[in-house]
Amino acid sequence: MWMVNSRVSSGARRLAFACFALLVAALFLLPGQIQGLLQYLDGPVGHVVRVPLEAIASIDAGIADRWQQYVVLQGVWEENQQLRKEIEWLRGQNNQLRESATATGRLTTLLQFKEQALPTMVAAQVIGRDATNRYRAIILNKGESDGIKPDMGVITPAGVVGRVVKTTGASSVVLLVTDPNNAIAGLIQRTRDEGIVEGTQQGLAQLKYIPLLSTLRDGDRVVTSGLVGGFPRGLSIGTITHIDKQEGALFQSAELMPEVDVGRVEEVLVIQTSYGQPRKAVVEADLLGKPSP
Amino acid sequence: MKFIFYVILVLLLVPLQTTLLPHVSVWNIKPDLGLVAAALTGLFAGELEGLLVGLAIGWVLSLFSAGELWLSLLTNGGVGLLTGFLGRQVSKVTSISLGVGLLLVSLASGLLAAMNFKYLDVSQMWWMVESIVLPQACFDGAVGAGLYWLLSQRFDVTRLRIE
Repeated sequence: MWMVNSRVSSGARRLAFACFALLVAALFLLPGQIQGLLQYLDGPVGHVVRVPLEAIASIDAGIADRWQQYVVLQGVWEENQQLRKEIEWLRGQNNQLRESATATGRLTTLLQFKEQALPTMVAAQVIGRDATNRYRAIILNKGESDGIKPDMGVITPAGVVGRVVKTTGASSVVLLVTDPNNAIAGLIQRTRDEGIVEGTQQGLAQLKYIPLLSTLRDGDRVVTSGLVGGFPRGLSIGTITHIDKQEGALFQSAELMPEVDVGRVEEVLVIQTSYGQPRKAVVEADLLGKPSP
Repeated sequence: MKFIFYVILVLLLVPLQTTLLPHVSVWNIKPDLGLVAAALTGLFAGELEGLLVGLAIGWVLSLFSAGELWLSLLTNGGVGLLTGFLGRQVSKVTSISLGVGLLLVSLASGLLAAMNFKYLDVSQMWWMVESIVLPQACFDGAVGAGLYWLLSQRFDVTRLRIE
């Protein structure tokens, strides 16, 4: 026969309810202050939690590697991996070249064309997925101590992965391009029409707010516009698979197949500075570093 | 001793939830071990410890999620408090009753989270409920019931709850 838990005194019960009521009140009345208070502790706690997290992630990756390399398909797997990486690299190259070709014709007509600097990137490994089921996000093994900050763009050579939304000292959370809460400024490569790329609940993406007069069609590629956010212009986001043009609507929208298979991504690059910024930063650093004549 | 146990529990929950559980997810749905741990702590240790452990779990897990901090604190802390309170009201807790209780609690917290999404219209909200919130609630209930059953096979759960 089970018995009632009578261990907890009524004082402790009252204290528990009072603490919870206080917490609810504080969270609703002073949300900024509570978050600010906890942010002081995020860094050290992030470093502590990183130890078991990275240990288990490396064991997990090790087991997965061994399984794929030695048990499933020994020789074929390696070749396949090599080819996939090559394809990813070539896709990225192809996309960049196509973007360059489109841009060159337009830019050569401009007299004040300036050379663009390459963005600065940090490589990071994916060590986990979002702790809840409600967001499509990945966890990276690099954080604030590596110079990663919220709103930085995350890519692979194939294209856009997502955007950093949260960081601790040693890790960061990246909201994937397929999450409905994410929004990235996009551009249809062929027509040069701009829109906003958002994730869908089905795990794909959609380009919204496309002008009604746009002549987009299935198979058109969508790239980053570079106007806002942490992405430079011309990074591949996805390919249009379906166009939605409703009667009386002010804009049309289109479904996209993301270029990167975000469910399988293992290594990524975090864009720390976009085009144009490094040069300025370097110049400023030079000015600060050089002794005055 | 108990404090160290809780610290280890919280530290191990993060890699379990973020790294290992995605491998055993069904239709991309994984159970919320933080919620289950907070509920079991509340049941065995009472409201105060349930609340504090739930808050700690909610806070640490929110560092590794794109979700909002307040929601994670409220749901996990609230579940620890609630199960601690409800645990005293029922004379006999079985795996089935705990599983059903966890299902309901997980459903409530999932609905709260779904209502917090501003971009959802009614059809999208319904889609989220039937394809994420409900399966996860079933998963949480099953995992909680399974864990409780395992504990009751290995330990004298009556003694654990009273002492």
